[in-house]
Amino acid sequence: MEKIRITLNVNGRPHEVMIYPNETLLDVLRDQLDMIGSKESCGEGVCGSCTVHMDGKPVRACLTLAMEARGAQIKTVEGLANGDELSDLQQSFIDHGAVQCGFCTPGMLMTADALLKENPNPDENAIRKALSGNICRCTGYAKIVKAVAHAAQPQDHCCDCNPKE
Amino acid sequence: MSDYTIIGTRMPRVDSRAKVMGKAKYTADLKLPGMLVGKIKRSPYAHARIVNIDTSKAEALPGVKSVVTGKDTEGVKWGVFPYTRDQQFIQTEKARYIGDEVAGVAAIDEETALRALDLIEVEYEELPAVFDPMEAMASDTELIHQDFPNNVNIHVNIDTGNVDENFEKAHYIREDTFMASEESYFHAEPYAVVAQFDPEDCLEVWCPNGGPHMKSKPLSNAFKIPLHKVKIKKIAIGGAFGGRSEICPADYICSLLAKKTNKPVKIVFTREENTIATRQGHAMITTHKTGVDEGGRVIARDSTCYMDGGAYSSTGPIATSVPFLSMEQAYRIGSVRYNGYRIYTNKPIRGMIRTHGRGFACGVDTQLDMIADHLGIDPVEIRLRNSRQPGDYTNTKSYVSSCAMDETIQKAVEKSGFKEKWGKLPPFHGIGIGTNSVQTGFPMGIRGGSQSFIKFNEDGEATVMSGVVDNGQGNENMVVQIAAEELGLLPEDIHLVNADTETTSSDPGSYSQVSTFVGGQAVKIAAENCRAKLFEVASKVLKVAPEKLAAKNRLIFVKDDPEKSIPIKKVVRISLLNFNSVNAEGGYWPKVDMKREWVKNPYGQMCEAFSFGTTIVEVKVDPDTGQVEVLEATAAQDVGYALNPLVLEGQFEGSIAMGGQGGMLTEYHEWNDGRCINPTMLDYKLPLACDMPKINSIIVESIDPKGPYGAKEAAMSIAMSAAQGYSGAVSNAIGVHMDSFPLTPDKILTAIKVKKAQG
Repeated sequence: MEKIRITLNVNGRPHEVMIYPNETLLDVLRDQLDMIGSKESCGEGVCGSCTVHMDGKPVRACLTLAMEARGAQIKTVEGLANGDELSDLQQSFIDHGAVQCGFCTPGMLMTADALLKENPNPDENAIRKALSGNICRCTGYAKIVKAVAHAAQPQDHCCDCNPKE
Repeated sequence: MSDYTIIGTRMPRVDSRAKVMGKAKYTADLKLPGMLVGKIKRSPYAHARIVNIDTSKAEALPGVKSVVTGKDTEGVKWGVFPYTRDQQFIQTEKARYIGDEVAGVAAIDEETALRALDLIEVEYEELPAVFDPMEAMASDTELIHQDFPNNVNIHVNIDTGNVDENFEKAHYIREDTFMASEESYFHAEPYAVVAQFDPEDCLEVWCPNGGPHMKSKPLSNAFKIPLHKVKIKKIAIGGAFGGRSEICPADYICSLLAKKTNKPVKIVFTREENTIATRQGHAMITTHKTGVDEGGRVIARDSTCYMDGGAYSSTGPIATSVPFLSMEQAYRIGSVRYNGYRIYTNKPIRGMIRTHGRGFACGVDTQLDMIADHLGIDPVEIRLRNSRQPGDYTNTKSYVSSCAMDETIQKAVEKSGFKEKWGKLPPFHGIGIGTNSVQTGFPMGIRGGSQSFIKFNEDGEATVMSGVVDNGQGNENMVVQIAAEELGLLPEDIHLVNADTETTSSDPGSYSQVSTFVGGQAVKIAAENCRAKLFEVASKVLKVAPEKLAAKNRLIFVKDDPEKSIPIKKVVRISLLNFNSVNAEGGYWPKVDMKREWVKNPYGQMCEAFSFGTTIVEVKVDPDTGQVEVLEATAAQDVGYALNPLVLEGQFEGSIAMGGQGGMLTEYHEWNDGRCINPTMLDYKLPLACDMPKINSIIVESIDPKGPYGAKEAAMSIAMSAAQGYSGAVSNAIGVHMDSFPLTPDKILTAIKVKKAQG
């Protein structure tokens, strides 16, 4: 097999990489671009830990060939914050205790971020449904669901919501 | 309300920011210059003699840097205890389960390493294998380990006397048998290890662990190098749940490959390897014979448990004991006899897991419900009549100083509406209750204590060193909260150096719910000692006695006159100008009975405190499909004192997911002649966001006299009691006391059918 040269647009920047046609987007992100935020947990598209956006849609980077990502706008967990300034969703995950071991967190954030872009005010069922392709072994999901619900709409009654100044 | 500033608050965790930014580094994320890829060759047979291994073809493959087999080792066998040293890190004589390690490879990339594995020629002579513990005991084929007759690995016998006499006096006696399959951890992070030898020939290792000091000693033994030459390094860890405490053969194989190649080597497990070649939960068959008096109080119990231990000892003596111990802690028992047998089989190795003993505990609780039925008592009342009380001694002679078991039962009952619902719910709609108790630590001899060092920097901030490891549960935040509270600083002023064997003192690890009680206490003592030094200096400046001072918000002030204050930073600088650095140490060793031993002497003080928990669950069962819909789970635990309710709730909720939703409804392994046929996340059913019920978390505080601020541990009594609550609820919904766990739809449908046929 011969390597080919492709350009991947990741978090708003073009990256030229030499890849084998059978390499996954996840491997190229992690091994060649040093973007280790996307995680491999199951390696077969079940757990969602490797979720990234391709043109705004969440995809499993472990099941996506890097070749397929040519020409697409790819966003990873590293692209959620604006420099040191966290996104509302990231901050909400921290404030609501939605992060424990943290290994599923990047994928969970990317799925939730895509959901909120599509539906800025989802109800609990919609959140649970959207997150059901992301497996978390630590939290029992309760605080993750709350963090997503309150990210866009901080709640006065919630003692963990951090009111914006 | 407390006088604390930081302790007791819903402080978001200090480690979260790096994690939400994707910056936290886990072992598989590490890249070191010249790093090679390591892979492990595993046995395809469940039981086979290794006749010959030919590595020549693999070694000749371009890109292969080293191939190691058992011949390259020092021949040291691993075991948690001197009497359980039965596992070589690379097998030389026999493979004892499908997945047993027979060789290792290091190559320039993964593809080459995998091709090299295929080129290693292992000649096996297949031996008869046993997969069922009862068959294994009766088998006359070759023993799995020659020194263990009948394949009995561990036998724990506990007898407090008067058991037979009390059965004679009993008003009602029941004997029932309960079965439970094995379950797995399914940590989010697959196991991984990176190893290299530094220029001073020190071994550096990064790997997920439940305690770095528990990894360094076996590696020092295996390589026959001093302990200070083994450096287990700090790394983010993607879950442990009891399964990452022991040394893993991959740690050794990776280190050996690093030694042979003089390069860093990384091994990352596949999901399947993580399931079959780390640890699993034990399958168990338990018979409880229980005698009660007229009031339903247990006056005699005789329990026998057979555990499928798999191919090696692992934490065998502990695993054989803990299900019994948790139940003797949770409930008073007039007299008790326990025989626990851990049996070798040709299956993957079983260890401790967050839900260990679900079959045993569900048996105790199911039988209590049966007895309550017979006596016409409700499930709450029979539990309150038997519940553990403060000031008691357990049957194996541990004093229970703090205990709010009754309060956990009462509060969970009230919140869930149990009394209003019990007996009044429509058909196939049920409610159930379970209670459990866990230890804050096991007796660990010289490794049972923790020590912390604190140094102040000239800018008034502090560096805290502690051996405490964080597997994801929030231990780092716990340590920072304690240090900040005691030193009068803000959490962001604390720099934590932890879980590194080179820079931190020995610590028992997060294993056995001990981190807060022992590791947190050590940090608290070190911080108190450090603060005393600050007060000594400040008292001279403020011209008041040190006892009259307090520290808060980066200031030291006079308690009765808070306007009179001095910044901590200034106190540090004054101290330095007077040729005194501000630092201190503190250590904590729990006062346990050092003579207590799991097998030889299972009596005496086990640990200093126990947590107690109750879970109540309400379910609806679909009688046509056997599917269970969980409406609500209510969890109440006596945590001692809530250091951080936000973190605690997260532990409660995770415990309901793993212990109940997964642990009682969907999680179990299936087998075909010793081969696990559901080792991946596709086949093993883990709870998803859409499956989880509403969870009510109730924090109960008993203020333990010895725990830091009165704290004990966070939610393990929920993880353990959740299964009992779930099984009780399903049994109540279908009107059949279930005796085989987990409660999958096929078992539920069969039970409904049998009940219907019986009329």
